[in-house]
Amino acid sequence: MHGYEIANSIQRISVDVLQVEEGSLYPALQRMLIKGWVIAKWGTTAGNRRARYYQLTVAGRKQLAVEMSQFERVIGAVRRVIEAV
Amino acid sequence: MNWLREVARRLRMLMHRHQFDAELEEEIRLHLELRQQEHLESGLTEGDARTVARRRFGNVTSLREESHIAWGWEWFEHLAQDIRYGLRVLRKNPGFTAVAVLTLALGIGANAAIFSVVNSVLLRNLPVRDSQQLVFLSNPDAQGMEQGFGDGDRDFLTYPEFQELSKNDQVFSGLAASASEGPKLSVRIENDGPGSEGVPAQISLVSGSYFSVLGVDPILGTGFTSDVDTVRDASPVVVISYSFWQGRFGGDRTVLSRKIGIRGTWYDVIGVTPPQFSGETVGVSPDVWVPLSMQSEIYPGRDYLSLEPKPFHKIEWLQAIGRLKPGVDVARAKASTNVAFQQILQSQTGQMSAEDRRRFMNQHLAVVEGGRGASTLRGDFSKPLQILMAVVGLILLIACANVANILLARSAARQKELAVRVAMGAGALRLFRQVLTESILLATIGGAFGLLLAHWADAALLRVVSGGTSPIPLDVHLDSRILAFTLAVAVLTGILFGLAPAFRVARVDLSSVLKGTARSIASSGSQAGHVPVGKILVVAQVTLSLLLLVVAGLFIRSFQNLAAVQFGYDSDHLLLFRVSPVSYGYKGPEVVQLFKDMIERLDAIPGIRGASLMDNGLFGGGDSNSPIFVEGAKPKAAEESDSRWDMVGPNFFSTTGIPILYGREIGSQDSGNGQRVGLLNQTAARYYFGDANPIGRRIMVKTTLAPSDFVVIGVVADSKHGSVREKPQRRFYIPFFNPIGDGDASSANVLVRTSGDPGTAVSAIRAAVKQTAANLPPVEIQTMNQRVSKSLATDRMITQLSGVFGALAMILVCIGLYGVMSYAVSGRTSEIGIRIALGAQRRRVLWLILRESLLLVLIGVVIGLPAIFGAGKWISSLLFGVKPADHTAVALATALMFVTGVLACYLPARRAMRVDPMVALRYE
Repeated sequence: MHGYEIANSIQRISVDVLQVEEGSLYPALQRMLIKGWVIAKWGTTAGNRRARYYQLTVAGRKQLAVEMSQFERVIGAVRRVIEAV
Repeated sequence: MNWLREVARRLRMLMHRHQFDAELEEEIRLHLELRQQEHLESGLTEGDARTVARRRFGNVTSLREESHIAWGWEWFEHLAQDIRYGLRVLRKNPGFTAVAVLTLALGIGANAAIFSVVNSVLLRNLPVRDSQQLVFLSNPDAQGMEQGFGDGDRDFLTYPEFQELSKNDQVFSGLAASASEGPKLSVRIENDGPGSEGVPAQISLVSGSYFSVLGVDPILGTGFTSDVDTVRDASPVVVISYSFWQGRFGGDRTVLSRKIGIRGTWYDVIGVTPPQFSGETVGVSPDVWVPLSMQSEIYPGRDYLSLEPKPFHKIEWLQAIGRLKPGVDVARAKASTNVAFQQILQSQTGQMSAEDRRRFMNQHLAVVEGGRGASTLRGDFSKPLQILMAVVGLILLIACANVANILLARSAARQKELAVRVAMGAGALRLFRQVLTESILLATIGGAFGLLLAHWADAALLRVVSGGTSPIPLDVHLDSRILAFTLAVAVLTGILFGLAPAFRVARVDLSSVLKGTARSIASSGSQAGHVPVGKILVVAQVTLSLLLLVVAGLFIRSFQNLAAVQFGYDSDHLLLFRVSPVSYGYKGPEVVQLFKDMIERLDAIPGIRGASLMDNGLFGGGDSNSPIFVEGAKPKAAEESDSRWDMVGPNFFSTTGIPILYGREIGSQDSGNGQRVGLLNQTAARYYFGDANPIGRRIMVKTTLAPSDFVVIGVVADSKHGSVREKPQRRFYIPFFNPIGDGDASSANVLVRTSGDPGTAVSAIRAAVKQTAANLPPVEIQTMNQRVSKSLATDRMITQLSGVFGALAMILVCIGLYGVMSYAVSGRTSEIGIRIALGAQRRRVLWLILRESLLLVLIGVVIGLPAIFGAGKWISSLLFGVKPADHTAVALATALMFVTGVLACYLPARRAMRVDPMVALRYE
């Protein structure tokens, strides 16, 4: 997916709940490039324009798993706190 | 290894950051256009669609920057920007840049030059494998040869001792020896064309283990092996130095099949050392290495290798270098070596008296780290070099102050430019960094030129240090340490002189500058109620250069005293040379006859007032010392009875011009084996006899060779034998031809006194020597004054250099003061205009300016005076006949500073006097 597609898919999958400044996607992608979590390749869009396509790497998937489990823990903790009230 | 890949990614980004920016740009544009398209399709107008797309995207510029910064190269890009900008600024002001770079090049260059010498003499390790593993069993700071013994730490080893210690393989992986001092001999090269003369070459005698222990691998052929040590006189092989190979063989690779001749023996060349290797002694660069087993070919007539039957006769002449085994430290090596050494000594004490045995056994080996090699230069030059390093450091500080002053003045002129940058959003920190970068840039350029200057200066420096003769072969080439030192000095310098201007820039007052009402530095400073930085800098300069001038003054006065010393003989008309007939095949009585004939022939030369000879010579480096006892007098303790002595030929005193106070001098009738006669100098006569007449009294000499005696026949005046600085010493003289000990004098110093210029007699003397002894090589004749001058080389160097640096400091202060004063005058033009308009006399205006300048000098001098005494004390060990707080030197330096103060404000003051009130007032 290229940047525009990523922004769109976030919005679509989250059913418009997550609406951030679309531009902030780009610095985030750069940081993931530095860490080696994604790689970027130039390709052509359906409309025949040049676009940069990002793809998750193995390291990226690992990091995703780490982040997910961390996220689950936090959410779990929050939920427990709320339910305890 | 993840971080490594990350670094690689970041670096790749840095290389292609323009492409990176373009791609990001393209990516964002695509995003915006696609979004705009989407909205267009949903029915918005084109304008609205673009607005909505942009709003959803956010701040494009800041997001682009954020993406860029994420890669972490911001600092680097700013630095590159600052440097580029700095270079542009420097290029735009060529005058300023030239002055600043030149000043800094002088300052940094002087530091680099002195440091190069410090580095090669005091710091650098030998260019050999793992030099930190090397230790000296002998004293690396000593050079020469000793006979007899003293107790305490040994300077040198004997050959049998070295052989014995080599067997101790517990702490050393190898032990090497080398003659502490080597001769310079004429060397012939086989098949070097007909009629070719020999060339002088520095010879070094070394053990077979020398090259392997030091870890020096010849670039051609091989080094010695232990085979060369086994049989005496049977290993005619040599290793030659790279420079000798290049200079004498033109780098010819067939050199290994050639031979070189030294004193009639032909040697096979078996190896060439690498270019950076120049032996174990810093400041001596051997051309030819010869095995120790060939000693009697190199030094004929004496045996330095065999075990002396009498322990007192043994000749100590070797430096011994050990390579520590891995894991062995110096302390353990020292303990182990001394155990072995004590056993060697014990085996020699056979027939000694108890007292002698006690002293004999009280000899030790110091065993010290040896990575820096041996050198007498360290002892001689260590203090002068420290002083010079401090002097050039101060010079650099003074130069820094000047550059800082120029920068300050310029930062005032740049205020508008900087204010504009502030107004455009440049942060204070960024401006601070920008200005500091400029300063460091300036200093680095200055440093680069300084290195060039240092390269030339070092060549000159070595010539001065060596005292007119061929320069000491010191390796002062640029190495990483000198480079690092210069770079560090340059950067520090840049920070030092850049800080004040940078601080000023960082708090630029925006509104007043842009409105054009900001006042100059000088006035804004005083308005704020504190002293302007420029003046503080000038006062500091005055203080420092006063210090340098006093130091220069002290050295100059001290050198004047040295030059005015009376030697006690006619030093202006004396010529000296050394002959050693035994080394060229003369034996026993032939030698004595040769000396007698030579003196006779020399005496016959017209224009020569006399010729004689002596054993140790004058200012030749050697001296003899023995305890003496007056027959029938109460003996003094052993140390208190010591006296120096020499053996002199007939008519020695009339030849040299040493006055005979009473009695008679040694004549030709005092030769032979009869009752020995002798003379005392005045100090000895007074010490041993008080006011009594010593003539006719018998004196016992207790040398280690053989106890002897002589009858006093006269007393002579005191004279200087070894150095200009020596105090009157007890000394006695006995006949050269009726010597003490085993007799045969193998060599002598011949003295000739001329009636006119001694230089004109040289060729006649050389001819006379040739006639007497055809086998002797041409002698090296020196005037007494040349020898004295050489002995004062270090004093001359430090006097000349401190004088030059003192003058340089004065010039720098003059420039600095001039700058500050012209600045002050231009800032006060309108004030001066008003004063003149109100009727102030021109003379009063002149005084106004002059007073300010002199006040600055006065403050600097007052602050500097206490420092002078400290500095004087520090250098006092090098001074001769001058107190550290010499009034003349201090007064002269102070006067010079005030003259500088007047000179520096001459131009500004004249400008002030000529201020036209009308013109000045119109400016306001």
